[in-house]
Amino acid sequence: MDDLADTIRLPRPASRIVSLSPASTELLFAIGAGASVVGRTRWCDYPAAAAEVPSVGDGIQPSVEAVVARKPDLVVLYKSAQNDPARQQLNRLGIATVVLALDRIEEFEHAAQILGTLTGRTGDADSMIAGLQRRLAAATVPAAVSAPTVLILVWDQPPMTIGQGSFLSDIVERAGGRNLFADLAASAGVISVESVVARHPDLILVTSDSAPAFARRAEWQTVAAVRQSRFVHVNSSAFNRPSPRMPEAITELAGRLKAMRE
Amino acid sequence: MKSRHLLFLIGVALLSLAIGIMVGPVSLSPGELWDAIKSSGGEAAPIIRQIRVPRVLLAFLVGGGLAVSGAALQALIRNPLADPYLLGLSGGAGLGAVIAIAAGFGGAWTVPLMAFAGAMLALALVYRLSLVQGRRLDPRVLILAGVIVSAFTGALMSAIMALSDASALRNAFLWLLGGFSGASWPTLGFFVLYALIPLVLLMASARALDLLALGDDSARHLGLDVGKARLIVYLSTGLLTAAAVATCGIIGFVGLVVPHAARRLLGPLHRPLLPAVFLAGGAFLVLADALARTAARPLELPVGVVTAVVGVPLFALLLRRTLT
Repeated sequence: MDDLADTIRLPRPASRIVSLSPASTELLFAIGAGASVVGRTRWCDYPAAAAEVPSVGDGIQPSVEAVVARKPDLVVLYKSAQNDPARQQLNRLGIATVVLALDRIEEFEHAAQILGTLTGRTGDADSMIAGLQRRLAAATVPAAVSAPTVLILVWDQPPMTIGQGSFLSDIVERAGGRNLFADLAASAGVISVESVVARHPDLILVTSDSAPAFARRAEWQTVAAVRQSRFVHVNSSAFNRPSPRMPEAITELAGRLKAMRE
Repeated sequence: MKSRHLLFLIGVALLSLAIGIMVGPVSLSPGELWDAIKSSGGEAAPIIRQIRVPRVLLAFLVGGGLAVSGAALQALIRNPLADPYLLGLSGGAGLGAVIAIAAGFGGAWTVPLMAFAGAMLALALVYRLSLVQGRRLDPRVLILAGVIVSAFTGALMSAIMALSDASALRNAFLWLLGGFSGASWPTLGFFVLYALIPLVLLMASARALDLLALGDDSARHLGLDVGKARLIVYLSTGLLTAAAVATCGIIGFVGLVVPHAARRLLGPLHRPLLPAVFLAGGAFLVLADALARTAARPLELPVGVVTAVVGVPLFALLLRRTLT
């Protein structure tokens, strides 16, 4: 059963897989099925071995022709209404598809089990999950009242943040921070500088690796964390998709949050 | 009659500015507001002084500028559907912004600057295309040139979007949708720098616009240098709109409907009309932005959404009442 509640039946374990999301590609490699991946998106950048797999272009609204040319026996699609036409076309051509919603930490386990089953690697998937659960538990910083509030700024003009229940928000919370906009249900939303000022963020998490340009803009000088340049930079792909690297990402962020407070 | 309308509109404008400063995602009591205005020390002072006041002033000037541009273009092109973005400016600005982001230098300053450059380029291109036989600016060709430049820039934008990182460009489009989240004293200064002269020129062109609306021959017989008047109006509206796009994206509806509403109340003469349009456009956009900031707080709505959702029913009501 995949994340569209469809049941997928394969006559034999998949051996030619086109993986149409960076998260599923990384996951396939993590359970030892990397050799069966014959197509990926141009965004699939981890592990390094994935770069040797031919790219079929975009993962959302993929080119069905480019996918079919790889002669896959299984296509892994990201769950999005925009991918429905491609899924239907592939099914009409007799190619099996599996649709995975791989956006959050807790969706990872289910996705790993499905891909483990479809590739005949349930054992590898199960041991990977067990190891991950153990490392996740060890990496997670217990929630504290004194936890620093973190503004997760994914875009600066207009200022956009992410609400509770998004991947990066979960990572921040597990690393011992509190999402400044945890009250937002939306996965991403435009906010005003004014509401940032009023909430007094301790730190600002940005996805660039250098000092952000907006930090010099006049309206942002009203935010103490901007004036004092309290930025935390995360730009590794481990911070933008669920993967076996989550525990390391959490530990790395936790270390930086701690360092910023001292 | 005329001065009474003007006084009323000044009152409305001042009231809108006061409301704009009083409301926001952060609720402040009248006491806190007063403290923030009196001294810079308090908790609320930076919110009021660094964020709300420049934002409200910018919204007012942009709203007034777009409305005056719309009124002038409607007279220039003799087409009631004319709005400040008709002449390809929004397309040029959008293309500039998208290029900046796709080329990887999309920052808080570069995106607006590239949008401004794109709008000015589109302005020059449309102008060149509309010079019939090398000399006269023909309004019919002007509108067609605007449409084809828009179509062309739109196609280029789609091509760049199809070929580059989707998430950054989605955000570029959010910016283009229009909003005042980037408002600050320097942004306000930038807008005033570029908008002041065009605004004054347009106000001074009131009589020329009246004559242009009569048609070329009548205007010429009444002593107007038609070519020069057109050029001034075209370049002024273009510069004003480009400055508006660069500071706050594309905000539709203000430039189209405010002039029509004002004409229904005040008649077609531009000397009383333009100041009224400026005040009404400014007040309308300040109030729309106040709603955009507060309706879904702490989230912000695109202000263009608010101008349309609030403005369309208001205008429909006005149409029905003044048609009878």
